[in-house]
Parts: sequence; C-alpha cells; structure tokens
Amino acid sequence: MDTTTLITEAKARFSHNSAKAYLKDKYDSKFIVADQAGLWRANLETINFLNSSSDEWVILIDKFDNPVKVLRASLLDKLSSTYKTVMEEWHAEWTMLETKR
Amino acid sequence: MSKGVLLFAFNSPKYNYYEMAVATAKRVNHFLGLPATIVTDSESLPIKQTYQFDNVIMATADKTNFRDWGMWINKGRYRAYELSPYDETILLDTDYMINSDKLLKTFELPTDFCCHDTTSFLMHPEATQEALSTYSFNTLWATVVMFRKTKRAKQIFECLEMVQNNFEHYATMHGFISATFRNDYALSLANRIVNGHTVCKEDAIPWNLLHVGKNTTVYRNTDSEINTEYTVLFDNWSRGKIRKEYLSIKDTDFHVMTKENFMELITYE
Repeated sequence: MDTTTLITEAKARFSHNSAKAYLKDKYDSKFIVADQAGLWRANLETINFLNSSSDEWVILIDKFDNPVKVLRASLLDKLSSTYKTVMEEWHAEWTMLETKR
Repeated sequence: MSKGVLLFAFNSPKYNYYEMAVATAKRVNHFLGLPATIVTDSESLPIKQTYQFDNVIMATADKTNFRDWGMWINKGRYRAYELSPYDETILLDTDYMINSDKLLKTFELPTDFCCHDTTSFLMHPEATQEALSTYSFNTLWATVVMFRKTKRAKQIFECLEMVQNNFEHYATMHGFISATFRNDYALSLANRIVNGHTVCKEDAIPWNLLHVGKNTTVYRNTDSEINTEYTVLFDNWSRGKIRKEYLSIKDTDFHVMTKENFMELITYE
C-alpha cells in the first residue's frame, strides 16, 4: 500500500505541531559549524557581532564555553553562508509542509 | 587517518541483527562514503553473504542479557575500542536509519569522544529527557558514538567494561533497575567517571538524537533501495479514542526503537 492511500484510509490528519518541531530539530543541527578549533552556531547574534567589529582577530566563547581566538572575516564568511543556506532550505521545506492537511 | 563505521550485530532468537547491519552498512557506504566493519558471531553470519563488509570481526556473543521481548545481546560494546580497525570510528546501533551525511560532522568536532546527550521524538515534541532515575543524572546515548584512538577514549571504553561487570552495584547507587543491562546507562556512568565525575560538554554531539518511539510507525514513501522520504503515522490517544496523525519527513537520520518497524523499512534492501 502506498503512503498516500495509507493516510487516506487511516483518515490521518497532518500534525502541524509535530512538523514544526521536526523541522526546527532538523535545521537547528545544520547551523552548527566547526571552525578554527571552536564549535559555533550560525546565528544572528554571532554574525552581527562579527560584522560590527573591524578587528582582524576576535575572541569568542564557542558552544563548549571555551574562549577561542579566531580570524574574524573567515568565521563571518563561514557563518553567514551557512545561515543563508540553511534558512533557505528550512523555509522551502516549511512552505511545502504548510500546504498539507 | 582512517575513518569508518563499526557495527555490533548478534542475532537473537527474535531479531536478525546481521540483516539490519547489512542495510545500515549500505547506507553508511552511500551517504557517508565510509567503510563499515561488523562485529558478529558464527551463529549470526549467514552461509551466503550478499554484502561485503570492510572487515568481519568474529567475537563471542554474551547471551546473559534479557528484556521484555527476550534475549538481547548487547553486552561487550566496550570492545569497540580494541576491535575497531580505524583511527576515527563511528560506533553505530544497527537500527539507526541513515538518510544524510550528517554523521560526518562528528569527525569535525574538536574532541576525541562524543555521543548524544539529548534526544527528541518524532510526533512527541514535548517529550522529556531520560534520566538514569529520578535521583540521578540524564542519560547519554550509546546509539551513535564517535571516538578517536586516544588514551582518554580508551579509558572510557575500559571504564564501560568495568561498569558492565558491576552493573548491579551502579544500579543500586543510582536507583535504576539492573535486570536488563543497557549500554546507554553504562556509557553515562563511564563517561562521568573518566571525566572526574563531571559533565564534559565537548563529549556531547551538538544536536538531538531523533527517536521513533511508541505508537509511532514509519513507512517508506518509495521502494527505492536508498529511499530518504518517509511518512510517520502516530496513534494519538485522546478521550479513549485513537486519532491518527501523520508527518512527512525527508533526508533525516532517525533511530527506530521498534525492531519490527526497522525490519519493515529494510525489507526491499
């Protein structure tokens, strides 16, 4: 039996709450970036901080709570591109799931 | 530096773990581009082998562990360190369904040992984290473990052996039932002991282990051998009635707790 028939015959409803949680879980992990001996999350706070500084080197607390000295421009580039790619994927999948009933 | 995946598979009277390992190994090759080594015994190894593992390591199955559905041969996982032929190893449960290259990220983590310390359940967004007991700390998960051949990683596996051999003692200390040996519990204890009875954040894989739990069944959307799209059906009990709910997932790794469901998913592979 194909899954479309299965859903119809079971009269199953699409769970938007579970879908939302599933997508958050799935894409949250994709924001994780290991770079310059530290572990980072490509979030707006870190990206904005890196963007606002003009120093070549900055020291940041990574996900493991360790202070890590990093080349600012290189990390900014990596985190920005990760953020953009992941958000686009997340949005595309979310839009598709939103149409389900 | 050699990299690979290590799978322990000992058939029980009820489940064919070798078959599960073959399906998982094919996915390891496809999605991770890594070789897979199996640790098994002569009783589990079929006469005609349809899949060529990178290495087949023979070991003696410890048949002294039981759970509600019967014999569960999960002891001896501590041997992973000595048996792994790789410098960097992902030790994986055979019922872990790989659908992406996500596990490769564990090799990038600045640590020599890591496993999951948090979980989430498909269709159960509010599920809480499991603890050894009400009076003890949160569980680590032995489902996915990445380790490098270092002194510290070796110590963790040696400690895992010690905890396995003294499981009753640790069960009394931490207030959990010792009747069934669980690698998750033993690993939680071993990791803490080696880290000086503290939590080492670096030892945690920085994303959740996704479980398929009770009342939840996963169906393949296609019959292709390397299918990555699934429909998840959930029986939601409300006011004495079942309301069926579903979810579509794709390109997502998950751990199937119900062995029957996992076997259904790999039937055509």
